Amino acid sequence: METSVVRLHEVTKRIGGRTIIDRLSLELRPGEVFGFLGPNGSGKTTTIRMMVGLMSLTSGEISINGFSIAKDYEKAIRLVGAIVENPEMYKYLSGYKNLLHYARMMPGVTEERVQEVIRLVGLEARIRDKVKTYSLGMRQRLGLAQALLHKPKLLILDEPTNGLDPAGIREMRDYLRRLASEEGVTVFVSSHLLSEMELMCDRVAIIQSGRLIDLRDLRTGAGMTEERTARMLFEVDRIEAALDALSAAGLAAESAGPGLVVLQGDRERTASANAALVGAGISVYSIRPDVKSLEDQFLEVTGGERIG
Amino acid sequence: MADFMKLVQNENMKTFLRARTVAMVIILAAAVTSVSVLWLAFGGRDVSMWDVVYVESSLLYFLVTIFTVVAGAGTVAEEFSSGTIKLLLIRPWSRSKILLSKYISTVAFALFMAALLFVVTLVVNWLCFGLLNDPSIPTSITDAGESPFAYMLRFYGLSFISSIVTVTLAFMLSAVFRSAVLAIALALFLMLIVNNVILLLSSLPYKWIDYVLFVHLNLTRYLDDLPAAGGMTLGFSLTVLGVYYVLFMAIAWIVFSRRDVAA
Repeated sequence: METSVVRLHEVTKRIGGRTIIDRLSLELRPGEVFGFLGPNGSGKTTTIRMMVGLMSLTSGEISINGFSIAKDYEKAIRLVGAIVENPEMYKYLSGYKNLLHYARMMPGVTEERVQEVIRLVGLEARIRDKVKTYSLGMRQRLGLAQALLHKPKLLILDEPTNGLDPAGIREMRDYLRRLASEEGVTVFVSSHLLSEMELMCDRVAIIQSGRLIDLRDLRTGAGMTEERTARMLFEVDRIEAALDALSAAGLAAESAGPGLVVLQGDRERTASANAALVGAGISVYSIRPDVKSLEDQFLEVTGGERIG
Repeated sequence: MADFMKLVQNENMKTFLRARTVAMVIILAAAVTSVSVLWLAFGGRDVSMWDVVYVESSLLYFLVTIFTVVAGAGTVAEEFSSGTIKLLLIRPWSRSKILLSKYISTVAFALFMAALLFVVTLVVNWLCFGLLNDPSIPTSITDAGESPFAYMLRFYGLSFISSIVTVTLAFMLSAVFRSAVLAIALALFLMLIVNNVILLLSSLPYKWIDYVLFVHLNLTRYLDDLPAAGGMTLGFSLTVLGVYYVLFMAIAWIVFSRRDVAA
C-alpha cells in the first residue's frame, strides 16, 4: 500500500455548540477516485471547506502530502485544485480572463498550459465570451479548467456533474478516471448522484450527521469471482418444483418472491443448480446475481433519513 | 514580490474591466466639463483658469471619495456575494496578502481618480479660460509670486489623505460585514451626514469632540495656514487620522484572516 496523499485525522468542527463534523478520519491514496456521499446537511461541504482551508478545524488535523492545512497552508494548498459548491466565476470577465486571473496566482502556470487546459475542457470556441453568457455546463467546465491549471495532486470537486448533459457527464467521468489512472491524481468527489458515483469511484465514504458511517471499496465489492460467492437469483416457472429439484441435487435454496429462487453460489454451484433445474424439466428464464445498487446500500446505511 | 504584484494586477483587472468604472470616469469628466462650460456661458470670462480649477476641485473632489468607496467596499464584499471568494482564497497565498493586494489596488484606484480629476480640470479650464482668455488675469487663490500649481498640489494631497481614511473605513466595514451595500451606505452616511452634525457639535465645549474622526476629515481648511477653530493644527489632525487609520486596518485584517468562509 502506497502512502496516503490526503489524511483527515479525527477532524471535528463545532459551530456554536453544535457538532457539524464529529471525529472524521479518512485516508486517500494516490490515483484513486474517492466518492464522498451523504444526505443533504450531513457535512459534506463543511468537510470540503476545511480541506481547502476556508474553514478552521475545531480539533483534529488535515494534511495533504504531509503538509498540514492549518500550519503549512501555502505548501499544502499548492497541491490542490478544487471547486467548492458551484463553480462561481467573475461573470463580467471572459472565460479566458478568469483563467488568467487564477493562472497569475499560481507559480509556474504558463500561457501554453492555459491554452492546453482550455482545449482539454472543450471551451475553445467560447473562451473569449463573458462568463455571464455561459450555460451551467460551460461554467462547470470552466470551473474544472481553473482547478487543473497548476496540475494538482489532489482534485476536490463538489457535485462535478451538476448541470452537465448526459454526454458531458460521461466525458467528465471518463476524464476524471483517466486523470486518476494515468497521472496519479487523487480525485475527491462529493455527490448525491449515487448511480454516477458507482460508475466513477474506486471507493466511497458515506457520512451522516457529520460522522463517517461507512467506507466501502466499489472495485472489489460487487459481482462474483472464482472464490467469491454471491446471492444468485433464478427466475423459474414453478417455485415448489424448483426448490425440490435443488435440494435433491444437494443445493440449499429458498424462495425469493414471485417466480424467484435464490441460492448462495459460486460459479460451479450456479452452473450445477442450472443443470439440476433444467434436468427436472423446469423452465429457467434468467439467472442474475442479487447485487444491491449503491443507492440501496446508501439508503440502507443512512436509514433513508431526510435532512437533519 | 513580482508574484505579489500579479495579485494587485488581478484586482486592477477586476476593477477596470467593469462597466461601473467606465461610468465613473465619464461622470467625473462630464461634471468638470459642464461646470466649466456653464461658467463660461453665464459667469463671464474675466477670471483666471486657476480660480475655476480650485472651485471645481473643491466642488467635485467628493466624487473621487465616493467612487473609491464604492470600488473599495466592492472589492471585498462582492467576492463574498458572488461566491468567488472561495476560488480566490484557495491559492498559495495567505489571506493577509490577498487582502493587502485588494487594499493596494483600492488606493491605486483613489490615486487614479484624483489624478483624473486634477488633469481633467487643468486641461478643460486651460482650454476654456487659459487659452481663450487673457492669461494675465491674476488668480485669487494665491498671493502674487506663489505658484497656483503648487497650491493645487497641496490641496489634492490633503484631500487625498482624507479620502484614504474614509475609503479605509469603507474597506474595513466591507471586510467585517461582507456586504458592499452596507459598507458603502454606512461609509457615505458617516461621511456626509455625521460630518455635518459633528461640525455643529465641535462648537460645543467638550474635549472628546477633538478626537472624533469626522472633525478631522476636512483637511483642506489648513491650506491657507490660518489657525483652525479650537486651536487645532494640521499635525494634530493627521495624528488623530493616523490612529483611526491603524485601527481600521487592524480590524479589517484580523477579521478577514480569522473568519470561516461560508459564502
